[in-house]
Amino acid sequence: MTGKGTDRRRRSSGGDLVTRGGAATIVAPAAAVVAVFLVFPALWTLYLGLTNRGLTGINAANPQFVGLENYTTALSDPALWNSLQVTFIFVSGSAIVGQAVLGFTLAWVFRNWQSWVRRALELLVVVAWIVPSSVVAFLWVAFLDGESGTLNAILGIETEWLLRHPLLSVIVFNTWRGTAFSMLLFGAALNSLPPSYLETSRLAGASPLQQLFDIILPSIKGYIITNLLLISLWTFNDFSPYLITGGGPAGATEVLPIYIYNESIRFGELGFGSAISAIMLVINLLIALSYLRAGRSRS
Amino acid sequence: MAGIEISEITKIFPGEVTALSELDLSIEDGEFFALLGPSGCGKTTLLRTIAGLEPATSGSLDIGDRDVTSLPPGDRNVAMVFQDYALYPHMTVRDNIAYPLKVQKVGREARYGEAEKAGSSLSLDGLMDRRPGQLSGGQQQRVAVARAVACRPDVFLFDEPLSNLDAQLRLEARGFLKQLQKDLGTTTVYVTHDQGEALALADRMAVMDHGVIRQVGTPTELFHRPANVFVAGFIGSTPMNLIPGVLGDGNVRFDGGVLPLNGRGDTGGEVFYGIRPEYITIGDVGDISGTVAITENLGAQFLVTVDVAGQLIRAVVAEGSEPATGDTATVNPDPDRVLVYDRESGELTPGAGYH
Ligand SMILES: Nc1ncnc2c1ncn2[C@@H]1O[C@H](COP(=O)(O)OP(=O)(O)O)[C@@H](O)[C@H]1O
Ligand SMILES: [Mg+2]
Repeated sequence: MTGKGTDRRRRSSGGDLVTRGGAATIVAPAAAVVAVFLVFPALWTLYLGLTNRGLTGINAANPQFVGLENYTTALSDPALWNSLQVTFIFVSGSAIVGQAVLGFTLAWVFRNWQSWVRRALELLVVVAWIVPSSVVAFLWVAFLDGESGTLNAILGIETEWLLRHPLLSVIVFNTWRGTAFSMLLFGAALNSLPPSYLETSRLAGASPLQQLFDIILPSIKGYIITNLLLISLWTFNDFSPYLITGGGPAGATEVLPIYIYNESIRFGELGFGSAISAIMLVINLLIALSYLRAGRSRS
Repeated sequence: MAGIEISEITKIFPGEVTALSELDLSIEDGEFFALLGPSGCGKTTLLRTIAGLEPATSGSLDIGDRDVTSLPPGDRNVAMVFQDYALYPHMTVRDNIAYPLKVQKVGREARYGEAEKAGSSLSLDGLMDRRPGQLSGGQQQRVAVARAVACRPDVFLFDEPLSNLDAQLRLEARGFLKQLQKDLGTTTVYVTHDQGEALALADRMAVMDHGVIRQVGTPTELFHRPANVFVAGFIGSTPMNLIPGVLGDGNVRFDGGVLPLNGRGDTGGEVFYGIRPEYITIGDVGDISGTVAITENLGAQFLVTVDVAGQLIRAVVAEGSEPATGDTATVNPDPDRVLVYDRESGELTPGAGYH
């Protein structure tokens, strides 16, 4: 009892290797980097969002402070609501249902395969993952092309996929591109499960589905939450649908990053775009917080 | 209630690893049966084959009066306690114990009642709402046993369930496992590499080596009449002395002298003279004498190793009567306790020894 007490006192009184001042000195460079590259741009965005700064012209040189006007304009802009809706469908369709569910299914199906087969498959999938977005996007445009696209050739039809099913096309594109990550992460999670967990339930007579819901999913819940957090944030902030559809036709694939790009860069409304960016920042935070909460409620 | 009949079970793993080789074994109903052997001899494989977790390459397996060779694990009505306990970290102790019953579609009330009873019989009252992570090793081990008990299987299978406990707890757990098994009367197969554990727990036991069984019998039989030098060397807290020599007329000769034997007339064979250290006395008078090489304190006794013409002979003596290292001492085996093994085959030769 007393031993513990003195122990704690000694630790907090700075009897350790590093004093408080010393620790501050050590982390100072990292803190400075974080400040310069993260905090400052964020604050700058918040500031810009309160002005009517333009990309060019008089408002670029001489921006005026406009208060919350950008925000009220944005919230009454149907294009923003459309963009939010598109983004929501894009994230739930391609990240959560597409990448996570498909990735888990693949990891589950491959879990008992010979290790060299699994490694070869993983390699293949990782290659798909590390190819630059622009290259992948080009391949998909070629694949989905209405006149000479590979998909149409295979199916023996002529459909303008990118015009008739634009959102579905970018969802499939993003699923294809990101499933590897989820598959690898879930594969590692499944490998980390002691075999005796499943064997105990098999001995009790549990079906594969019972094993999945009773044992496997709860046991790897931490991995699932981490994975969902990462892929929904990545997908939420993903600009690459632009490479395929440019956000069109008629805003059908205009996810939030594309909306911001269009407003700030194409239409030159830098202040307005910054206000939307600030909204996006808040949504990012909300996503992160909700996952972290779900993770904590576990124990 | 169910015995286990294993006939000519062979298990070959991919890569031509033969883990079990045409193994026959019959375990009686209600028996506490220990499988003993060095690491890698196939104990776990045999246990998992009984459970159905490993399909046998060939052979057949009956539990009770059912041929279960091709039944899936869930239909065999056996429960297994794994070395790592396999408790689900996301479930409470109560849910862990009740889980097999939940799978078997027992209602909530009934299965929690069973869990409560099983937990109680293993002194887990008051811990039922905890998570496994909040329990000590010994408590976790008891939860794993309670889970096996709660579903009232025909057979318990234990794979080294005590090996993760410290010595003190292991002794305690050994006691309650034995008691529990006696109370329930459920056929139990218990795998261990610890001969002391096997001797202490088992009604009968088998010693395995490289996928075959070298001897089956009661602990007393195996301790007193090991059927071959492998079993002789494996059983006993201090291994049996196996002194190479030549069978003479009523004795065994080796470089250090003549070792006494009772009731043997045959001569001329190359043998091992087998005598447990507990059945040798150390003194000043006798035919066989050497120098004391090592003395080891075993607590109430001392293990004394005497170098007789290059042959090390171990003896266990009472504390206080041990000689000092470097002393000259004589070695006097009790001729009634001697076992003679054929040197080539390693098998026990009939005639001499304790019956
Ligand atoms: N899944 C497996 N694949 C290949 N070989 C295995 C497998 N499981 C066990 N073996 C081999 O079978 C032999 C017996 O193993 P095991 O039954 O685990 O021994 P024990 O439990 O007695 O230590 C060992 O040589 C081991 O390497
Ligand atoms: Mg083993």
